[in-house]
Amino acid sequence: MSALVLKGVTYHYPATRAPALADITLAVERGEVVGVIGNTGAGASTLLLVAGDLVPRVLGGELTGTVTRAGRSALLLPTPWTQASGMAFTVRDEVAFGPANLGWPLERIAAAVQRSLARVGASHLEARDPATLSGGELQRVILAGILAMQPDVLLLDEPTAELDPAGAAAVWRLLRELAAEGTAVLVATSELDALPDAADRIVWLAGGRVRAIGPTRAVLSDAALWSDAGPGSTAVAGAWRRAGLDAPPPLTVADALERVR
Amino acid sequence: MSVVLAFEDVAFTYTGRPALAGVSFSIASGERVALVGRNGAGKSTLLRLVTGLRHPTSGVVRVGDWDTAGRRPDELARRVGSLFQHADQQLFARTVADDVAFGPRVTGVAAPEISARVERALASLGLTEVAGEHPYDLPPPWRKLAALAGALALEPVLLVLDEPTAGLDRRARDRVATALATRAGNGTALLVVTHDLGFAAETLDRALVLERGRLAWDAPIAELLADAARLEGLGLAAPPLARLSHALMLPGQPVREREVARALAERCRT
Repeated sequence: MSALVLKGVTYHYPATRAPALADITLAVERGEVVGVIGNTGAGASTLLLVAGDLVPRVLGGELTGTVTRAGRSALLLPTPWTQASGMAFTVRDEVAFGPANLGWPLERIAAAVQRSLARVGASHLEARDPATLSGGELQRVILAGILAMQPDVLLLDEPTAELDPAGAAAVWRLLRELAAEGTAVLVATSELDALPDAADRIVWLAGGRVRAIGPTRAVLSDAALWSDAGPGSTAVAGAWRRAGLDAPPPLTVADALERVR
Repeated sequence: MSVVLAFEDVAFTYTGRPALAGVSFSIASGERVALVGRNGAGKSTLLRLVTGLRHPTSGVVRVGDWDTAGRRPDELARRVGSLFQHADQQLFARTVADDVAFGPRVTGVAAPEISARVERALASLGLTEVAGEHPYDLPPPWRKLAALAGALALEPVLLVLDEPTAGLDRRARDRVATALATRAGNGTALLVVTHDLGFAAETLDRALVLERGRLAWDAPIAELLADAARLEGLGLAAPPLARLSHALMLPGQPVREREVARALAERCRT
């Protein structure tokens, strides 16, 4: 059984005529990382809200079709600074907020907090007041809070937007580790350069619909990504295309080195 | 070239927690400067000292011939346009156009000139169609663009921008790059905090690297991106095109897409 299944999902935000998502069918399995790409307004963030059961339950609107999840899901919003509980005076307590609300015993909470802070490289921040953190530090802490709940379905919206390059690379590696442990990961990102190594499959959304879905390399090699409806592909693919060289383009530096001798 | 921004041995301490120390540099008009470094290095704090939201604990920050010490943020806004990291925090009007007009209005720009500036700023970022929308009805990346339009409409001598491209799609990123290049071409100095070193390589020329509140490196971006080992030690990494350029030893070690593409085409033709 898939960890997350959307069948024929169409969703309208409250008081809107055009659907934000139209006829989306998608399954995410345990152990895989699925990337969601598309231009702003294409529906990637909405897809994650639907997958995380925040719409229509919290934000209202009208949803048709079915969404099923096996187990617990958790969502990292693209605005992590709005996601802090505001009720914790230390990073440790902030990260404990989710697990505490799941009613876990203290020892289990403490262990989950330590482990998830370490996994996002934020152990050194544990005694800090969340209100004094930098943007990137806070994004790590919010991610740690989500991991501490040990979700079966991990949903992330632009998880590296505020991170330094080393931190971003660490998060992409972490997603692979979590998948290897059996988590189903669905991640929307505009950092397309990370996807060849991080994602197993890609969903390309355009105008609220699935424009393409398939193995990462196949989708990122599609020339149509460079059309108006597309978000482009990796930087290496972009330079290759601009140079007028043979399609399909290499996606990574390593690919390009094999093609150019 | 006149100096638009100067830091003279600047230190800043949040209650009990030092954030910046011994920072000195200057930026001339028309310069395009990236401010980079790992999370928590002090980048956003440094920008707050430029916009007057904070004042140095010691040392001097000058914007042109003004010492920021005696100046309020609204005075400094006559010279400095700024984009916060979390742009939601700087949008408050009921429409995007009103929000963009706010800066010019309170800094005393004449009415007909205000509407011309608002139109120009919105058009340059592709926001003309959403001018009448409520800023909070826009997706978060577009709110960032709306806030950037507000900074552009001030037509300041210095733009300080915190992560202007985070979460933007390709076309929006290109529009931001073009708008910034145009402003710099007209003499506006740019100081841009970014983790997107690919964007920095395309759009900016010089990089300041902060490490634990100190200025660790001040160099042309191409030189910075050529030193992978030192970059890594600072929590940074060269973007793909710079790595490709160095791995293939492309002539001149280009880091911008157009030049990398040209060199690739040359290489593959021979």
